[in-house]
Amino acid sequence: MCGITAIFAYHDDAADVRPAELEAITQRMFARGPDAGGTWVSPDRRVGLGSRRLAIIDLSPEGEQPMFDVDRELVIAYNGEIYNHRELRAQLERSGARFHSSSDTEVLLQLFRAHGERMVELLRGMFAFAIWDTRTRRMFVARDPYGIKPLYYADDGRTIRIASQVKALLAGGAIPRTRDNAGIAGFFLLGSVPSPFTTYSAIRAVEAGTSFFVDTHGSTGRHRFYSIAEIFRKGLEQRTIANLTTARTTLREFVGESIDYHLVSDVPVGVFLSAGIDSTTLTALAMPRVREPLRTITILFDVFRGREFDEAADADTFARALGAPHTTRIVTRDEFVTDIPKFFEAMDQPTVDGVNTWFVSKAAAEQKLKVALSGIGGDELFGSYPAFEDVPRIVKTVTAVSRVPFGKWTLGRTLGVLKRLHRASPKATAIPSIGGTYAGAYFIKRGLLMPDELTSVMRASDIDDALQRLALDERIASMIEPDPMTPFGRVATLEATMYMRNQLLRDTDWASMAHSLEVRTPLVDAHLLRQLAPLLLSRGEECKREFAGTAPTPLPTAITNRPKTGFQAPLHEWMSLADDATSTRMRSWARIVFERYA
Amino acid sequence: MRILLLCTDAFGGYGGIALFNRELMRALSEHPRLEELVVLPRLIPNPIEPLPPKTRFVEAAARNEAAYVAQLLGTIRREKFDLVICGHVNLLPLARMATKHPLLITHGIEAWKPLRDRVSNRVVKHCRGVVSVSDLTRVRFLDWSRYEGPTFVLPNAVRLDQYGIREKNRTLIERFGLGGKRVVLTVGRLSVSERYKGFDEVIEVMPELVAEFPDLVYVIAGGGNDAPRLARKSVEHGVEQQVIFTGLFDEAMKADLYNLADVYAMPSRGEGFGFVFLEAMASGVPTIASKHDGGREALLHGKLGMLVDPSNAAGIRTAIANALTRDARRIPEGLDYFAFPRFVERVHAIIDSVAP
Repeated sequence: MCGITAIFAYHDDAADVRPAELEAITQRMFARGPDAGGTWVSPDRRVGLGSRRLAIIDLSPEGEQPMFDVDRELVIAYNGEIYNHRELRAQLERSGARFHSSSDTEVLLQLFRAHGERMVELLRGMFAFAIWDTRTRRMFVARDPYGIKPLYYADDGRTIRIASQVKALLAGGAIPRTRDNAGIAGFFLLGSVPSPFTTYSAIRAVEAGTSFFVDTHGSTGRHRFYSIAEIFRKGLEQRTIANLTTARTTLREFVGESIDYHLVSDVPVGVFLSAGIDSTTLTALAMPRVREPLRTITILFDVFRGREFDEAADADTFARALGAPHTTRIVTRDEFVTDIPKFFEAMDQPTVDGVNTWFVSKAAAEQKLKVALSGIGGDELFGSYPAFEDVPRIVKTVTAVSRVPFGKWTLGRTLGVLKRLHRASPKATAIPSIGGTYAGAYFIKRGLLMPDELTSVMRASDIDDALQRLALDERIASMIEPDPMTPFGRVATLEATMYMRNQLLRDTDWASMAHSLEVRTPLVDAHLLRQLAPLLLSRGEECKREFAGTAPTPLPTAITNRPKTGFQAPLHEWMSLADDATSTRMRSWARIVFERYA
Repeated sequence: MRILLLCTDAFGGYGGIALFNRELMRALSEHPRLEELVVLPRLIPNPIEPLPPKTRFVEAAARNEAAYVAQLLGTIRREKFDLVICGHVNLLPLARMATKHPLLITHGIEAWKPLRDRVSNRVVKHCRGVVSVSDLTRVRFLDWSRYEGPTFVLPNAVRLDQYGIREKNRTLIERFGLGGKRVVLTVGRLSVSERYKGFDEVIEVMPELVAEFPDLVYVIAGGGNDAPRLARKSVEHGVEQQVIFTGLFDEAMKADLYNLADVYAMPSRGEGFGFVFLEAMASGVPTIASKHDGGREALLHGKLGMLVDPSNAAGIRTAIANALTRDARRIPEGLDYFAFPRFVERVHAIIDSVAP
């Protein structure tokens, strides 16, 4: 796990790479990799790579980056973990590859040598990297299928600059800080900036599950090597496979395998534990797989003590029953207020989320952990968000209503009245106009503000252009191309490619890396999704219950019967958020976030 | 010791379970304490091969279901047995007529989820022991059955002397048009109800493999009602010239069939064990099996061949390409783990454990 930088002055007219800029970008990511750091500039000064290293696999200096292969023809800057690196290394060695380290980084170099751009299809893990090939003078750039590891670039037509964080790219001083209203509008509409936009015009995210080359003509050969929509589409064709074993067996075997891979580490691994099904089941499955019990970490905001969001007591009982060394970390209002400036400083892109991950990561780091497993992604995988029921219901209702003369008009008027009486969400009036498609209904369900409300947060003159360029409806709709065909498949794809990718995973990355902690997500795994897709499509939401049943000893009823509360932070209580006609007051929080981030 | 074996098919049978039962009977007949082995086969579609000593093969039982029950009832009324072996979960209700505590043999997918009737699910809990052809099947069986008695793993056996690396059979090369071709082979039933063998997965990676290896063909050896769909699929993928269906294959020609192959690939999801892997490896063919079914045990978890995730096309493609470019034909060291004498030892150890 690291922070990486790559600069390639590909055009003849481009100025040489400035070592000071490379250094500045790389150093801005110090917290991502406090163990070591380095930069490399090619002899002709057209290419530069940089890395900050959090040493987790092969702790020796041999694992440091930027790293050359044994023939010194390929050099890489890489952030992430390749969990199947040992298998890949064994295969490469059988084909004659030679290594100078035992790191996963070097496996990437040899894999690129052997398979070129197709190498990414063989990787199991989270990754973002740039490989400079001195033989062809091309740079190869790739990002993992889910987008667990971030990667941003700024390409001015002469030089491409790549880094793990937006703020790091800006720290280099060569990229204009012009704000992008499309990215800003995206933040207010969704609560996080939808990829590939950022809040800066010059910076874009490398799309998850894609790779490309950069040569003297600029970036070329963009290739999508993983599509969640396609996985669900294929899973539908293979639905009969789901009947070979019981759902519980399938889940136990495949999630168990994913956990095995996610435990590959040369340093101790901990677990984020709540009293929810995903993290408890994950912990229960992981515990027998390790020699030393995993340390478990729970946070409790003291204002929640004894209230519905207090998961500490149940988590503590559960951890003790498993024999886990357990830490319940209490977060007080004072600490929260003290940390808020650092929180905004670390926030890489504006988001309404990330507070919980910030504090639980901080707690894990205090326990000297460098790696922690997290159960995030379970709700997206097993369909346990309300969106899995609500989105198809909205689509069905609007479709049915639109067949009736004046049906949509009547629905719109009714919802308008209810909204005025505060009996319906502020978003409700958008239902008749856009709720007839999965993209529209999903936006209503997951959206923060509706487009007509942007005037309260943006200049009116900026909005039209921002919305046109953002093209949110088309963007969301493109996530379910090819059509996964089933309601479950569509919503699962949208959750994974929109909310989880743009918010949950991105926030988990910056909020944990700010504490030099690597968070691993066994339930967010491209291979796992391929393996489970047939089952998920045949059993849908039942899979969550079956997943709970995979724990070697049954989960306590205090956990299985616990109402779903989500991972809440006391923003309303501690930030005195203004009433915004929503129960969570996230709209008010978004305004504060944007001001403080800006 | 007198043993009664109820089985689906054995001598005169066809396929993996029949073969397992034949070897089981031969191994049982070598047990020093065996006085007589009485076998009730449910089916005998082919001529019966020579039986092992001390074995009585009740052919009349195979006539129909009523005859099977009649023969069973007659046998248990007239004779006493020290051990009743139930050779398939589908026969459990009948085995219960003979004893409350049979020794059950599980072969694969039939034991991976609750059985089809309530009686069987009840009887299974009282078995004297459960033998599985792979640890995967054993674990999957235990996952749902709540069975708490002794369990055993008894992998299939291979007669190494019946295979070996041979010259490619000219007749077969001509019959299937394989002259000058490199061959990826899969042997298995092409059944609509068994779409887990991995034929689809190999066909899907064929276009890219053919681009890399223009002389490559994929031979699918086996008959069944799913062949038309697979043929259509090969057309859809533009590899109809490279996918060859042999149809049902004569068992006697199997060793020659395997020797046609440069790679044996079966990225299946449903093998209890996968005897075909042993046959391929015994013929010196580089072999690719699945990580996620019993095939991994046939390859001793990757020691004897390559394991792939059937859901990962890139992994399958790379494994086949590696095998074509890298692996010479050889009989892998360690394959004798599955030699028949080892099978006999394992069978005797199980019998001594459940019927001391």
